[in-house]
Parts: sequence; C-alpha cells; structure tokens
Amino acid sequence: MKSEATNNGSAENDDQISERSEIISTVHTDSRQSWLKGRINLWRESGLISDEQSESIINFETSPKAPIRLGARFSRLIVVLSTLGAILIGAGIISFVAANWQGIPAMAKLGFLIVGQTATYCVAYQFQFVRGYPRVGGAIMFAGAAWFGANVFLVAQSYHLSTGNPDLLIWWFIGVLPLAYIARSKAITVMAVGIFVVGISWKAASQTDDAVSGLLVTAILLFTGAAIYSVGLAHMQRASTKFFTAPYLAGGALLMIIVTYMFTFDGLVNDTAQNSELKNFEVSSGYIAIAGVVSAIAIVSLLLANWKSIRFEKRLSVKLGEPAIITLTIIAGWFIAIHMFESAAPYIVLFNLLLVSQIFGIITLGVINKREAFVNIGIVFFVIDISTRYIELTNGMLGTSVAFIIGGLLLLGVGYGMERTRRRLLRQFGMMEVTQ
Amino acid sequence: MSSKLKRLFILVIVIQIVFLLGLVGYRETILAFGRTAVLQTVPVDPRDLFKGDYVTLRYEISTLGSTPVNQDSAKFLLLGDIITGDTVYVALSNIDDDEFSLDVQTGEPSARTDLFIKGQVTSINSDVITVDYGVEQYFIPEGSGLEIEQAVDLEVRVKINRSGTAAIDALIVDGEDWAP
Repeated sequence: MKSEATNNGSAENDDQISERSEIISTVHTDSRQSWLKGRINLWRESGLISDEQSESIINFETSPKAPIRLGARFSRLIVVLSTLGAILIGAGIISFVAANWQGIPAMAKLGFLIVGQTATYCVAYQFQFVRGYPRVGGAIMFAGAAWFGANVFLVAQSYHLSTGNPDLLIWWFIGVLPLAYIARSKAITVMAVGIFVVGISWKAASQTDDAVSGLLVTAILLFTGAAIYSVGLAHMQRASTKFFTAPYLAGGALLMIIVTYMFTFDGLVNDTAQNSELKNFEVSSGYIAIAGVVSAIAIVSLLLANWKSIRFEKRLSVKLGEPAIITLTIIAGWFIAIHMFESAAPYIVLFNLLLVSQIFGIITLGVINKREAFVNIGIVFFVIDISTRYIELTNGMLGTSVAFIIGGLLLLGVGYGMERTRRRLLRQFGMMEVTQ
Repeated sequence: MSSKLKRLFILVIVIQIVFLLGLVGYRETILAFGRTAVLQTVPVDPRDLFKGDYVTLRYEISTLGSTPVNQDSAKFLLLGDIITGDTVYVALSNIDDDEFSLDVQTGEPSARTDLFIKGQVTSINSDVITVDYGVEQYFIPEGSGLEIEQAVDLEVRVKINRSGTAAIDALIVDGEDWAP
C-alpha cells in the first residue's frame, strides 16, 4: 500500500496549509490545552525540557490561530466566488450567443468564440502565474475550460449537428484534460473526470437498446469507476502527478460503490432476467468496444500502479487486496454486460459480496493511508448497506412499529460504535474530533 | 510557470483552436463538396435555454422496416441482422421510385450504390428500426419556430460526403429555401 510524501510544490503547500488549519479548527481547544500543559509540566519536571523551553512551547501552542484559520477559509471563499462569477459571465455570454445564433454572421461567430476563449485563458494566465492571484486565476482558467466545451457545442449547433451527441462531450474531455495538468488545477481535473463519466455512459447508452440501456449503462459506470480509481492509483506513483490523485480516487471509489450498491437490489437485474425477450438481448459491438477500452484503461493503470508492490511486497493482503477488489469489480461488470447468468440471484449474491469487500477495503485503505475521506465514505456506505438490508429483511416480517423500534435501536447502536471507531481512527491520524 | 510548461500551455490552447477550426472545416467541406439529397420531414418545435430555439426533424427514412411502415411510405429492405447501436448505411438512389426497395445495411455499400447516408440505429421495435442521421436538429433564431411549424410542405436539403456523413444545407418551406 502507498504512503504519501509531503511538500510537492507550492500548490501542495497551499493544500497542506488548508488541511492544517482545518485540523486546528476541529480541535477542542480547552481540553487540548489543559492536556498539553499537563504533559509539558511533566516533561519539565523530568528534565526533558528547560523552564524556558516549556514556556516557549506553551506560548506557541496557546497563541491564537485565528489568522491562519481565517486565511484558509477566506481562500476558499475567494475560489468559490471567483468560480461562480466566471461561470455566470460565461453562461450569460453563451446564452446570448446561442439565442441569437442564426442572426450573427458565420465568420463573426467563429471569431467571437475563438477570441473569447483565448482571451479567457490569457487573463487566467496573467492572474494565476504572473500577477500572483492563483485562486482568481484558477477560477478564470476553469471558466476557460468550460468555454471550450461551450464552443464545441456552439460550433456543432451552427452546423445543425445534433447537440444530443456524446462525441461532443468526449472531444471536450480530450481538450481540457491536458489543461488540468499544465495549470495544476484540481477543479479542471474534476470537471474533466465528470465530463468523461457522462460522455462515456451517454456513448454507451447510444449503443444499446432502450429496454436494456439502464442495465448496460450502469455496468459501464462500474468499469468507469474502476478505471478512474486505477488512474488515481497510477498518479500516486510519481511525485509530479501525486497532486492530482484525490479527485480520481474519491470519484472512482464513490462511483464503484454507488453502482455496486444499485446492483445489490433485485429490481435492476430481475426486470431483465424475468423478461424472456430481454434475457437473450444482443449487445452491439460498439458497446463491447467501449466497455473493453474502459476496462483496459483500468487494468493497465492498475498494473502500472501496483507493479512495484506486486514484485517486491511480501504481505499478500497488501500486495493483492486493492487490485483484487478492483479486478473483481470489472469482472462483475462484464458478467452484467454479457448477461452471464439467467436468473437474478447470482448477480445479487455477487454484488452484495462485492459491496462488502469494497466497503471494508476502502475503510482499511483509509486507515493505512491516513485518508479521512475514505474512512468516512466507507462508514457512510456501511450504515446505508446495513439499513437497506435491515429494511429488506424486516419488510413484511415485523409490524411497522416493531420494525421502527428495532431499527432505531440498531441505528443508535451502530452510531455509538461508529463514533467510537471514528474517534479511534482519527486519533491514529493525529487529529481530534469536534465535540461541540 | 516554467518556460516548458508555458510552451505546453500555449500548445494546448492552439490544439483547442485547431480542433474547433477542424470541426468547422469538416462541416464546410461536406456542404461544399457533398452530394445533394432532399428529404421529406415533419417538424416539432422544442425550446432550450442554452441552445436557443431549434426544430426537431423526423424524416421518412428515420423509421425503417422490412415491410411498409404505412401505405404511403416506401418499402425498405433490411439486409442482414441489425441491432441497436449499429451504424447503418441507407441507399438513397431510388428513394423516389416505388418499384424499388431502399437498401439498409450495416456494411458500407458497394461502389455501385449511387448515394447513401450513414446513420445509427437508436431502437428496434418488432420489424421497425429507428435511425438517427445526425441531421435531426435545425437551429433557428429565437421566436421564429412558428413559421416552420405551420408550413404545409417541409423538406430538408442535405449534403452527403463519400462516407455517408450528412450535413443540413437548407430548410425548404413550401418549396422555398427558408431564411430567418
């Protein structure tokens, strides 16, 4: 498994400052200070530190941290406001142009689109890299990337090309992904990943029959989640790309778990399995090609990310745990795509087991890599899964009132256990939970 | 930003511009050099906040089957197995001749086929398949949709390149090229 280094460029330092201030903001000040004072007195009495040093430490730790906290929050506010401002201006311009599209001469349209897009990038560059306003510049850069997407659609519109075409989204994705890396923008990375997910699932839907498109598109989302997560893992291997890891890992993990959860219900698969006409539905070669490409991206990225641990890691669980869950997810997706089983039951058993593996896998990874977000995602889906299975189990078996009472007690028990577990995990991370 | 990154940044912007110009160039090439076909159509007039007004066009060749869809429609012949998502090529050479069927096939037609249009099968119900040709939307200035909706006879002149890709050249309303 991976551990993360610190200090990778100024952008990462910014993030670390934000994270540190977040940690500071969650500290329960009074209890922490009294605990610290007690420890420092003990160290002083034991001769580990001098009186002068103990006084300096206490002064340092008890000095108000408000300016740092305020700085970090203020930075986020700047990013949010700037991004919203840039997007609103862009949306206004695009809406105006689109509404009067046929009234504007062809060359003027094209010129306006290209000059507007280029000017946005130039302004963003000036703010972000020359004048020292990285947050405002980053927000304008994000707007530039959005403008490029709008331009793709507006050019398509000017030639009456159907705008309900998933290829337009895929072109947009290809155009903005390199920009995310060059501008070191997590926001544009998130935008690119989002466009990819929508574009590829839309493309897959266009390759399937309406009656089974829900089922097959959901399977594509499973491959896509695995691919995004694996690409994130591959990013962790290099110091230069580690900065971009989080959007891929969080997005991929969420997508995989949500889609797997959807397949744990018998409805999605059962409708297809019970319909004899649909039981033998044909899958177009176009769909198979899309699923194959996305699966290949996942497998290649997984191999790149785990090459070292596969060769040198001795502990089998560390070596194969994460790749095994991702591979199993891809295989489960293919079972759906090629409709491996004739009844719904094997799918439901498979996806329930897969969901449990994913949930415990992500919590374990969160603990090992000290990723609070992973622990939170895992715990949330654990509770959702437990609640769902409880409702399924008690549905029709118990009276409504009894089911509510037992369910309530169960949730309180799970909540108590979660709180204890979460605090213990956060202590391991060197953090303290907010208690007020 | 290092000079190398700066060069890459400029390169990405240039690639984006070249891509947009390429898209324009491709469509202009079809309009300039493509062969002409006139397709009968029926409009629907939806509205979209960001796209402006547009009419959705449904053609006679949008729904194809091995038997006539209705008494007035031409007879279409599906060659081979066709499933949803397939790319199909519809021969247009004999579209106005009732004696002939329209060939619809997944493989690219032979050189003997005079004119064909490329589409994608979006659904299959019994013997009838629905095909999109990428020319189902016509964008118009805001508020001018009523004129088109009230037209007695509506046709679309499309240009088609050698690989069967079509682009809308003009909307023909009651025998006249429509201008906003």
